[in-house]
Amino acid sequence: MATREAILEKIQGRFADRVTAQDNKDLATILVTPENLVEVARYFRDEPELACDLLLDLCGVDYPGRSLRFETVTHLYSTKKNHRVRVKVRLPEENPHQPTLSQIWPAVDWFERECFDLMGIRFDGHRNLKRILCHDGFQGHALRKDYDAGQRWQCVPGNIQVPEQILGQGEIRDHFETQVLNLGPSHPATHGTLRIVVRLDGEIIVGSECEIGYLHRCFEKMSEAHFYNQVIPYTDRLNYCSPMLNGIGYARAVEEMIGADVPLRARRIRVILGELSRIMDHMVCIGTNLVDIGALTNFWYFFQPREEIYGVLEACCGSRLTNSYVRIGGLSADVPKNFVEEVRKLLVSIPKHIDDVDRLITQNKIFKSRTVGVGKATAEQAVAWGFTGPCLRASGVPFDVRKASPYDGYDQFDWDVPYATDGDTYSRYLVRMEEMRQSLKIIKQALGDLPPGPVITGDWRVALPPKERVYNEMEPLIWHFKLIYEGIKVPAGEHYSMSEGGNGELGFYIVSDGSGHPHRIKVRPPCFPLFQAFPALANGAMVSDAIAILGSLNIIAGELDR
Amino acid sequence: MPIRVTAHETAADKTGFPGILKGLGTTIRHLLHNITHLKDLPTILYPEQRRNYSERFRGRHVLKVRDDGTLKCVACFMCQTACPANCIDIVAGEHPNIAYEKHPSQFNIDMLRCVFCGYCVDACPKDAIIMTRDYEMAMFSRGESSYSIEDLRQRLPLRQIDLGYRPYYGENPTKMDSLPYAGKDAGTKAAG
Amino acid sequence: MTGEGEIMTTRLEGLVGWARGWAQGNSLWPLPFGTACCAIEFMSVVSSHYDLSRFGSEVVRFSPRQSDVMIVAGTVVDKMTPVLRQIYEQMPEPKWVISMGACASSGGFYRSYHVVQGIDEVVPVDVYVPGCPPTPEGLIQGILMLQDRVKKGLGKPRVEDRIRDRRAAFGRPLAGTGPAHLLPVYGQVSPSAGEPEAASAAPASTEK
Repeated sequence: MATREAILEKIQGRFADRVTAQDNKDLATILVTPENLVEVARYFRDEPELACDLLLDLCGVDYPGRSLRFETVTHLYSTKKNHRVRVKVRLPEENPHQPTLSQIWPAVDWFERECFDLMGIRFDGHRNLKRILCHDGFQGHALRKDYDAGQRWQCVPGNIQVPEQILGQGEIRDHFETQVLNLGPSHPATHGTLRIVVRLDGEIIVGSECEIGYLHRCFEKMSEAHFYNQVIPYTDRLNYCSPMLNGIGYARAVEEMIGADVPLRARRIRVILGELSRIMDHMVCIGTNLVDIGALTNFWYFFQPREEIYGVLEACCGSRLTNSYVRIGGLSADVPKNFVEEVRKLLVSIPKHIDDVDRLITQNKIFKSRTVGVGKATAEQAVAWGFTGPCLRASGVPFDVRKASPYDGYDQFDWDVPYATDGDTYSRYLVRMEEMRQSLKIIKQALGDLPPGPVITGDWRVALPPKERVYNEMEPLIWHFKLIYEGIKVPAGEHYSMSEGGNGELGFYIVSDGSGHPHRIKVRPPCFPLFQAFPALANGAMVSDAIAILGSLNIIAGELDR
Repeated sequence: MPIRVTAHETAADKTGFPGILKGLGTTIRHLLHNITHLKDLPTILYPEQRRNYSERFRGRHVLKVRDDGTLKCVACFMCQTACPANCIDIVAGEHPNIAYEKHPSQFNIDMLRCVFCGYCVDACPKDAIIMTRDYEMAMFSRGESSYSIEDLRQRLPLRQIDLGYRPYYGENPTKMDSLPYAGKDAGTKAAG
Repeated sequence: MTGEGEIMTTRLEGLVGWARGWAQGNSLWPLPFGTACCAIEFMSVVSSHYDLSRFGSEVVRFSPRQSDVMIVAGTVVDKMTPVLRQIYEQMPEPKWVISMGACASSGGFYRSYHVVQGIDEVVPVDVYVPGCPPTPEGLIQGILMLQDRVKKGLGKPRVEDRIRDRRAAFGRPLAGTGPAHLLPVYGQVSPSAGEPEAASAAPASTEK
């Protein structure tokens, strides 16, 4: 793994003064001009020592006071060398545009569309630069600082394109006419509000296009209007199947920016509850995938341990699903007294349900004939499309953020990263089942090592002081008022923090201007590149296979559309 | 160390019969277990049975009252500021009793906007708002969604209310104001 | 549909109306228009812990042509409104709509540029269930209230009457609950004495 300085040295050695190295502490950051962007990007991908083959994210940031008002920020990762790089391009306010990177990384396609939709930055050479998250009747670019957060535009039926407008009319191939079929956004088998339009030759899919944005809830704009702690309930609703993981990822990003000292007990509890949430997420994914294939029993089998995990989460924080348990600096409250016993009971009961589903499904001939060889993605294709998480691991690349960049003590536990080599739907199922067992292993070790102590940092600039002191003394009361009215003052700067979400690398890129409100939060949703690759995965498959593939990718619309 | 997962398919598995037998065995075992253990079924027969939610459940809010019946709330607007949904609407007023100074002349929570995050309880410096375990608030029209002081004020003694998310979980909830106080040295102070 | 406060003209009409209300109310087939987190909670409602089929809603089909009540569970955004309206119009009469959760009822805490501030901008709503997400019991209470109205064939009650009734209800202790366990025990009806826990996150916690 190359260090930050080595990367910057290499890049500057090659490009001299065509790039400017920035002095960010978290990642190697360089600033390029739009003219040099494609060449620098290609060098990043092709140079063996840099080998940045996975594009994580591309977003736009608006700095209204500056002469070069907009900035696109691209985060890259190297699966071979395990390092991350940030490439920034500054663009003027008048007609901001830069060349597209989609010839280099196919994964950047939808990221650029989103940047165009929300910021108004054009990407020259993009194959389909249209709005992706907002509807077609939307005017203006929502994440610009001069756009009022509450300004809505009416969406009339004409703003939603009919399938023929998306894929064209039925064409004649081999004397047969192909048909265009619409799946979603209200459909029993699309998990959430996803829309797929397929062109069918009989039952075989010969082309498809995905449309998202049917759950675009403007998380990023909302977070700019709230304080850092108030964003945590919004993060719960991102990946709502594993709500703790989003909150943990976000809180870690802010804590790294402010240098907060999170107590060990809080980190262990975060690991335990985070892994329980991961188990819940995989259970929903597999359960609903199997429902679409027709195996309804496993859905009931998997929802039983979910209810038991809900019981533990509810006892800790008061809410089953949208926990808001995490705070910047730790957790909002300590766990109840019988937490350890109850989680130990879960460790006994959850494997029984996983084994039940295993017995029913894994060697089932019907299931195997429906999923083996369906939706294959080779390792190179998966990396080029920006996959992370179980889908990437099922294609043969054992990349897990918890092992590659350990946090919260994951490197002190003894556990393995499961991977498979086939890259089809069956492999994704196997990888998720094994991941659940590995999560149980981690929880067992973390439970054995739960130290006593506080669960939130004692620094009152970050965390609310204890209530009994707020009621009785003056200084804690003043800090309490300051935190509520002004929020946590995060020092100005930017930071990218990653954690392993249920679907892959969940990244938070936070830009702070020194006040209590975030200047910009960009969530790197793990399932965004997954759904982008769906047309390629489903090409040549039958409609029912497409449903099976969609279920195995685990697309959560809350995270996809934010 | 990455481990490779495979399905461990044996020759017998290729025929499909072991899979069928194992699967049928699992479902029949569950069926027989459910038939013979009817009392252990996990179904909670709401509304006759109710689930015992924990003491931290975030349900309907309650505005606590002092011993003389006045609201503890001093209309400091902390909860209104902390609420991410901006669903709390307070109008402050002067309290006739000079010892209490301020009180809310209006305190409305829009229950259809509220996300039940508990930030208002965290933010209150007077232990004036807590949450209970009541979740039955379905309504027929949006006109009913605004809960005013009349709806939110505490009507029963604390012992008789199913209390939920609140700052103190002591043995004796009526004595919350005089809980033992750990002293000025407990907890750490902010640096600088 | 019988209106509110009509005088029964014949016994037969009253009997038929009662029978129709009873049949419709006890077999409301839901159409889950699930978009977000509330859809996951709806999945919990139809699962074995809370089993919605006990109330006659066994057939959860995702086709509007075969359902009576549309449960809008989750945030509806502007881009989704033509879809929602189309699905609503595809449902045959008589039909009802339950708006589940804060986002569907009022936009919740998403006061933003793409979120519908309450689906009653698009479709008429019969029952609003607050919560984020509402507990499964809360949703079942909403469905039971709707069933009650359907069985009696009544329209919407007056807001003043509802507020008056709920203020009377809040003065009564909750039925069937009491001091709780720290962690819930499933299926258990009667409350049993649980040991309350010590004070919360203060670093030097006080033991009582």
